[in-house]
Amino acid sequence: MGQSLDFEFIHENKCKRAVLLFHGMTGSPFEMKKMGRALYDADFDVFCYCLPGHGTSPINIKTVRWEDWYSDSTMHYKELTQKYDEVFLGGLCMGAVLALTIASEFKEVKGIISLSTTLFLDGWTIPWYNFFMPLGLYTILRYYYSFPEREPYGLKNEVLRKKIAALQKRNTEALDNYPMSCIYELLKLSRFAQKNMHKVVSPVLLMHAKEDDLTSTKGSIFVYENISSDLKKYIELENSYHLVVMDNERDFVFNTSIDFLNSLSSYAQISQKNICVRNEDSLNAN
Amino acid sequence: MQIDVSQVIKNILLLPLSLKFIIVFNILLILGFIIGKLVLYKNENAVKFYAYFSVVICVLFTLYFISIIWFSIINLFAGNAVYSTIFPIFLFLPFIIGHFASYEKVHFYTNIQILTLIVSLLLALSFI
Repeated sequence: MGQSLDFEFIHENKCKRAVLLFHGMTGSPFEMKKMGRALYDADFDVFCYCLPGHGTSPINIKTVRWEDWYSDSTMHYKELTQKYDEVFLGGLCMGAVLALTIASEFKEVKGIISLSTTLFLDGWTIPWYNFFMPLGLYTILRYYYSFPEREPYGLKNEVLRKKIAALQKRNTEALDNYPMSCIYELLKLSRFAQKNMHKVVSPVLLMHAKEDDLTSTKGSIFVYENISSDLKKYIELENSYHLVVMDNERDFVFNTSIDFLNSLSSYAQISQKNICVRNEDSLNAN
Repeated sequence: MQIDVSQVIKNILLLPLSLKFIIVFNILLILGFIIGKLVLYKNENAVKFYAYFSVVICVLFTLYFISIIWFSIINLFAGNAVYSTIFPIFLFLPFIIGHFASYEKVHFYTNIQILTLIVSLLLALSFI
């Protein structure tokens, strides 16, 4: 089931630039599909694969470690570097952390789109009994306990929220709970990423919702302040929650990402480059 | 040999409050783990219910830890170095077990956890 959720959007004429997207914790490539389609329409070949343990049953996710996610993502990245001149990375939530971790190891990553970067679990929907988390995380209880997914399911858009809630009940495209063991592995990956953040030299575009329900803007600000990239941008979104690729400002997220990637690409058409420069000016002005 | 239950209860009541708490929370934790393992956690669909049940176990763990620290401090000031050092071992054991645990061996490590709680209970009862 997991592999059937994978997608590859490849142009018939040999495209020389590719974007590898990573989905979020307990999610699936389904949540990145619209972004993938937008990038494909902007002349990028786009790839997104189910991370180990995701997209199947809730039990499988409990059996994987963060090293599995990292090695699988690295493998896909290496495969793409064999076929394309320029490989960009993009990710949402844990996917953003993975993208940044890969970039800390491979300096030749052409550019990164980091959305709702989840280095800390400190959003406003984290339950009141969160202070017990260390007891749940570091004892045997992490294999028993799951945070039940609750409203607003990462979405400010209420119509979409209902659809996602229905999808989560199927527990394939997205889970209706966050297993504590999965959070444990995410936090281990986050610690590893934080330790290596200074090694990131690739250009990075960070976008994070001000009202992110799962993780506050602290994570993205940490990345912005600690990476060594010469080109880095941080944009706060006003009208979205955690799932910025599906929520109210998704078109802005897609267009800004495309402009950013085009500004870095040697294969972008001149007209696209000009749009990018104009947009960057307006962003800087903001 | 016949056990005089009323005498045992009398002796328990004479124990320091911190030790009484260790015994009570220890028993509740053992029961919690056993009930959870045998009944509740088998139902993978009752996410919300066993989320709250796990929170209850976490609360019990916290109270158990506080009782152990309390008992150890009292004994430290009373000059009972042995008592004050034996119980704190049980503060670290859940985290050591958690460190080595994996989903594939979750039942094995849960049994180890229950076993350490039983040992801790027996140690507490040995003060009677």
